[in-house]
Amino acid sequence: MKKILYIIVIALLTNSTACKKDSEFLDEPPTSILTNEQAFKDPAQVLSILADLYNRQLDFSTVESWTSMADFSETFPSENGQTNIVQRNSWGFGEWSTWDYNYIRDLNLFIERATAATTLSDADQKRFISEARFLRANYYFELVKRMGGVPIITESLLYDFNGDPSYLRSARAKESAVYDFILKEGDEIKDLLPANLSDKARASKGAVLAMQARAALYAGSIAKYGVSTPQVSLPGGEVGIPADAAAAYYTKALAAAQAIISGSAGPYALYKNKPDLSDNFANIFIDKGNNPESIFIEDYKLKSGKVHGFTQVNQPRFGAEEEEGGRLNPSLNLVQSFEKLDNTFAPFNTALYYTSQIDIFAGRDARLAGTVILPGTTFKSRAVDIWAGYQLADGSIVTGDDRGAQKTLPGQSNPVQVVGFDGPVSNKEFTAQSGFYLRKYLDPAAGSGSRGTGSELPFIRYRYAEVLLNAAEAAFELGQPAVAAGYMNQVRARAGLVIPLTAGEITFDRIVHERRAELSFEGHILFDKKRWRIAHIVWDGTKMTEADLLSNIGKATKRNTQPYGLWSYKLFDASSPNNGKWKYKIVLPGLVTGANRFQFGNYYSSIDDNIRSNNPKIVRQPNQ
Amino acid sequence: MRFTSWYSLSDAAQNILPSAKKISLYFLVTVFMLSVSMVASAQADSKIRVSGFVRDTAKTALGQVTVQEKGKNNSTMTQVDGSFSLTVDPASTLVFSFIGYASQEQAVGNQTVFSVILLQSNTDLGEVVVVGYDTKKKGSITGAVSTITAKDIDRVHGGATVSSALAGKIPGVTFRMPDGRPGASANIQIRNMGNVLYVIDGIQQDAGQFNNLAQNDIESISVLKDGAAAIYGVRAANGVVVVTTKKGRANTRNTINVDAYAGWQNWSRFVNVLDNSYDYMYYRADAEMNGQSQSTTITQAELDKYKAGTERGYQSFDWKDYIIQKNAPLTSVNVNVTGGTDKLTYYVSATRLDQNSVLGREFKFGRTNLQSNINATVAKGLRAGVSINGRIETRDNPGVPQADDYWLARFAILRNTPLERPYANDNPAYLNDIKHNETNWAYLNKTLGGKYKSEWRVLQTNMSLEYDIPGVQGLTLRGMYSYYIADHLLNNHEYTYSAYTYDPADQSYKATGGSSNPWREREQVKQINVTTQAQISYNKSFGQHTIGALVVAERIRNQRLRNWIHAVPSTNVLPLIYFSTADTYEDSDDRQARIGYIGKLSYSFANKYFVDLAGRRDASYLFAPENRVGYFPTVSAGWRITEENFMQKLLGPGSLLTELKIRASYGELGDDGDALGLPAYSYIEGYSYNQGVAILGGVPVVGSRDRGVPITNISWLTSSIADAGVDFTLLNGKISGSADYFYRKRDGLRGRRQDILVPNEIGYTLPDENLNSDAQYGYEGALSYNGQYGKIRYTVGANASYSRSKFLESYNPVFFNSWDQYRFSQEDRFTKTNWGYEVIGQFQTQEEINNYPVNIDNQGNRTLLPGDLIYRDINNDGKINEYDERPIGYGVGTQPNINFGFNLAVMFKGIDFHIDFSGASGYTWYQNWETKWAFQNDGNLNTIFTDRWHRENPFDVNSAWIKGKYPPNRFNQGGHRNYNNSNDFWAHNVTYLRARTIELGYSLPSSLLNRVHIQKARFYVNGFNLFSIDNLRQFGIDPEVVDENGLQFPQNKFVNVGVNLSF
Repeated sequence: MKKILYIIVIALLTNSTACKKDSEFLDEPPTSILTNEQAFKDPAQVLSILADLYNRQLDFSTVESWTSMADFSETFPSENGQTNIVQRNSWGFGEWSTWDYNYIRDLNLFIERATAATTLSDADQKRFISEARFLRANYYFELVKRMGGVPIITESLLYDFNGDPSYLRSARAKESAVYDFILKEGDEIKDLLPANLSDKARASKGAVLAMQARAALYAGSIAKYGVSTPQVSLPGGEVGIPADAAAAYYTKALAAAQAIISGSAGPYALYKNKPDLSDNFANIFIDKGNNPESIFIEDYKLKSGKVHGFTQVNQPRFGAEEEEGGRLNPSLNLVQSFEKLDNTFAPFNTALYYTSQIDIFAGRDARLAGTVILPGTTFKSRAVDIWAGYQLADGSIVTGDDRGAQKTLPGQSNPVQVVGFDGPVSNKEFTAQSGFYLRKYLDPAAGSGSRGTGSELPFIRYRYAEVLLNAAEAAFELGQPAVAAGYMNQVRARAGLVIPLTAGEITFDRIVHERRAELSFEGHILFDKKRWRIAHIVWDGTKMTEADLLSNIGKATKRNTQPYGLWSYKLFDASSPNNGKWKYKIVLPGLVTGANRFQFGNYYSSIDDNIRSNNPKIVRQPNQ
Repeated sequence: MRFTSWYSLSDAAQNILPSAKKISLYFLVTVFMLSVSMVASAQADSKIRVSGFVRDTAKTALGQVTVQEKGKNNSTMTQVDGSFSLTVDPASTLVFSFIGYASQEQAVGNQTVFSVILLQSNTDLGEVVVVGYDTKKKGSITGAVSTITAKDIDRVHGGATVSSALAGKIPGVTFRMPDGRPGASANIQIRNMGNVLYVIDGIQQDAGQFNNLAQNDIESISVLKDGAAAIYGVRAANGVVVVTTKKGRANTRNTINVDAYAGWQNWSRFVNVLDNSYDYMYYRADAEMNGQSQSTTITQAELDKYKAGTERGYQSFDWKDYIIQKNAPLTSVNVNVTGGTDKLTYYVSATRLDQNSVLGREFKFGRTNLQSNINATVAKGLRAGVSINGRIETRDNPGVPQADDYWLARFAILRNTPLERPYANDNPAYLNDIKHNETNWAYLNKTLGGKYKSEWRVLQTNMSLEYDIPGVQGLTLRGMYSYYIADHLLNNHEYTYSAYTYDPADQSYKATGGSSNPWREREQVKQINVTTQAQISYNKSFGQHTIGALVVAERIRNQRLRNWIHAVPSTNVLPLIYFSTADTYEDSDDRQARIGYIGKLSYSFANKYFVDLAGRRDASYLFAPENRVGYFPTVSAGWRITEENFMQKLLGPGSLLTELKIRASYGELGDDGDALGLPAYSYIEGYSYNQGVAILGGVPVVGSRDRGVPITNISWLTSSIADAGVDFTLLNGKISGSADYFYRKRDGLRGRRQDILVPNEIGYTLPDENLNSDAQYGYEGALSYNGQYGKIRYTVGANASYSRSKFLESYNPVFFNSWDQYRFSQEDRFTKTNWGYEVIGQFQTQEEINNYPVNIDNQGNRTLLPGDLIYRDINNDGKINEYDERPIGYGVGTQPNINFGFNLAVMFKGIDFHIDFSGASGYTWYQNWETKWAFQNDGNLNTIFTDRWHRENPFDVNSAWIKGKYPPNRFNQGGHRNYNNSNDFWAHNVTYLRARTIELGYSLPSSLLNRVHIQKARFYVNGFNLFSIDNLRQFGIDPEVVDENGLQFPQNKFVNVGVNLSF
């Protein structure tokens, strides 16, 4: 017994290295890391890397970033923490900037490693590499849109620690060179990617062409309209494109768009599956299964770990599935810009009393009700409750300071509800402080508005209607207004504007307006206004009067610096024939104290001091 | 036989006996029972029987004093009346020892009756202190080590966790308890050096394990503040808290101790709000009239109706009173059994603690602890020990939205206005739709809200064997194997619910709010830590020379398994999770491994000179294989000057100075922890899996991302601590004290070489290197006095410490210009400072605003009113912007730079009275959010804002201004210039002194107790945190909170009554 104990003690106390070497003991294998070899051996793992690269795409105003949609006076931001959007007087020069060369490096590494991989099938290898090249080109497009010309890095760089990193420094390419790179990459990969693709979350020929059409159009318009803002340029061409390049870019844009329209990339078409044109328009963003319109999307899926909360934060507050919602309140500025069915523009008639709240919006572009939740409509089968109060016989107002507040009206004994459960109530977040909520991207499925479930509506990056409008604009700029009218009328007819525009009616204002009506909240407004070089005119920093608001609707350079609202009141006057009818009033929400000013220095976002000091070849943006 | 076999043996044992752990418990219980029945005295032959009494200086009998025959395993303990008897060798010496008293030795000789008087001492030099794999007598310690023992810890009844007991007790330990919810812990640091390492019974542990020990089971807590901590190596760079749990003592009779108390808790402080609707509407009208539009919809007629408060919609409701339930209970019962024979000692203890909160009775914490420490001499020179610590820790409350389930209830106090009512039409069957229903307290309960339960089940088992190698006296081998498993199970189910609006017209209740979102989650964590230690030690005295040597090998392996699942159940009544209702699942398995080799040599001569040398070789899994190993030496020395003959001559007999020791230490420690912030596997190239999910082809695809350029050149951060100190006693131990100065420099903090500017376009940042350095330095001291006045004995103690941190240097910092350097340089500057504007006053009149030359609000001062803040235009450029910022304040949310404590104990006959204070200074709290501007979130008004600049008649913009403390209120305008920046009007450098324990106890006289066979019976009344003297009272803020909105769950005031019994 004693001996055994003795032995055990000795065993215990002998240096423990005997059992497992120190190095082995310390080498705990990781549980969630793949070596480069493992990662590129098997197509499933390569796809896993691609999945991350797809997820890291940058875009503007996506379903995961509502705040940028709330900007530009198209919307009122109905959240206490975001009132700065309507209280500031200008945008910082750093806004909208991006410089994610880590993403580019990861894309370059992917392309290099996938090229070197030996066990992948030819078909897989080609497709994977082309997908990465598409993502890279698309990110360079984001870079050039925001920053102008940037260094074009197409292979992974490594510092050798030799003390002289100058060999790693690249100057900014010309703005045009970045566009050329995007277009060239597109040309090289478009036929390596599948056409007629049912998987729209992955790169396809259609996606490449759509990217080319948009990029070429941007380059073309910068070349053409840059003339009007000569100060927005740099001598080295890092910012600004010579005017003589415009035609070639427009031609390229038209050709790429027409390649899609002709069906060469697959049977894309306008979505027309619902009899009600407004519902149909809203459904473009909802219908995943049978949607010929979407070309390239970011997809979401319930119970997969990838869902978004757009509906949760923007659903009408009353009847919301969560104790929140209603953050985006489209402005009257936008709402009134939707045409009447006779192709004319007009403000709403606020002099009349309406029997039904919705009546004031009758006879307009169907995209209005498809984009905006109007008072008197429903969401998820529940009537939205947007109204601002009672108007008494003497014109005074009875309202409350909380959603659905109750007060006793003159001559009555019991309190009654005097304001909608969706507001509008001044300063009360989540209520419809402009009188409207956003409908685009709202998911009607049960649970979509709750934190636990979320929404699986896709975010559409490229869709067919935009391709048509891109084609129309390119054709218009190339002096083919009839071709332009043809494309534009297809889009308009779907919105119920069935009286075709003639070639003579196609003007720059029309082009600009059509994109606003069709593509609002899809991330175009900023970049469109920039490339047309009218951002500094539209957002000139001058506060808007009601007269400003109501005049020149449909004009591209119309001032748009403060989001207005349209509030409805119920008449309480037993002696009036209009008793119980609705009266509308134009209001500037109380929190709107600033006016948007877009400075010349905003045309290209500033490049951070650190970036410039780390690479002295990077020249500073103009006007900053 | 090689070590391999031992491993395979234990593996085999595990295979054969899968339930070995369960069985071992039964085994231990059996051993314990047997040993109790075996307590028998074996007296020997030609020896004499001695007896006597032990008393203290007040002539009070001392029970439980150990009386031992020196150098032998022969001892007894005194009875309650102080009497003892023992059979000993006439040639031997008796040693009388008792915690808190100076030990005494008396030679036996012919004497058979002893009357011993023990001197009380707070710094008993004979006391044994645990210092790194080893124990030392206090007198021979050469490092900065402070200790508190059970007697200090036991009288703290200030919550559920051990850390709360440390406030103001130990010089150099900084304390802040920002949150006081049930089960909460205080933040403890040593000299503000960072997160501490806890070592409990020789095993490295985390703060959670330390905090959730049962207070009653702790024998002592030693704090190693300098190079002495180095012996614990990896992760010891910020100091070590060493905890020793209670053990049984050899040759003592079996004692059963009971410590039970019950307490009542109330919030120390919380912000106050308006409680009636007239006030609310009045102040609201006032605030709205101060807005840019100078208008309000509130009329005097309306106000009159609110004042009457009778009509529906005009009544008042007091939410704070509704939510807070006073005197929340706290109870704790500890029962332990302890004793020992010459072969076996045991301490077995069980504790149950239940803590409620003032947020109703559904928000609660409970814990059961079990501690079993058994040591046995199994053969000559061979000792075995098993120590088991187990606990079940439960947090149980309604499952409600927000990550912190305690948040909404507190937020509700500020968010809900007196106009809002919990139930529609005051009918408790219908939750009222108050439009922000998550703060409706009527919803925040288990019936409507949901259920949350978090449970930790922890078992720590240490097994040790110690063998005195025969033939070589003083040579001991020791091995220890420690297995720790912590199991966490969290279940949370937040229900769907409806809120209603009552329509008086048709007397109906309509569902107009609520949530249709159920949230169901479950988290499971298994933490398994295995520590093995092998050590060999040699201790021997040759004449006046004493040497000690120690070699330790230690391996620590930790594994953390975690999974989390989220589901959307279809109903509130089915609590289980099904595959088809689940939508998210997370899984992880993280491992750590560290190895240390430690060598230590100590030498002392004549109990006068002491030198300790130690070195470590540490290796951590975090570093690339070629950088894993670090070598860290420590040296320390002490000199007891008063032992020198010349000094004794100099001082002469009866001198004031009894004892003086000077000591100094220098140690280097390796740190691979927070300060380095190196993620695991940074040195590995490849792809990290599980980086989000993309839906490709309608199918979720888990993402992988390139890990970037691997970091292979990072290694140990070196922390060098120098410490110089003195320990002294005066007047024969009546006064004792110590003082220390320390300086810690850390080299090798992560930084980047800035002189080589690598373009951002390479797409990665150059890996960090061990480049930067910082320092933490300060001093601390403690002093205590033991006195007596007639039959009253008393002790007074005080301690204080100061510690600040400074950034030293980074590698070649780059600045764009001199302002950039002024504003952003860290070089050789204090850390934890903040920048903000300086407020030089408040505008007194509108005229002053109109003529003021500086553009305060960047809008031409159009938004300003009398009473608004005037910022100092530092650079005189006529506007206020970032260039006008100056350093203001100390650290925010950090540990205080200055900590201090006072204590007083008075004993008279059976009565004992204690009072402990602790305090701190040198940190900053900012008013923000709810404590900065009125009606934040459209909520209620914090009453501090009733003292504001306002117009005499709020409805008349031309009426006169009346001065107040705060600027004129605006209605929820946090963006106003008064509020949208950091400035020193809202910053407060905090100093507080708060009463911690105030306790009055009474012990029944032994004459009474002997009759009922009770050794000890003591009753006490105890208060904790009863009051605080500080400068945050005016804001309704507890001085230790961190949250700037004032809504943190503050510490509680406790009033406890309890009893200590020994049988």
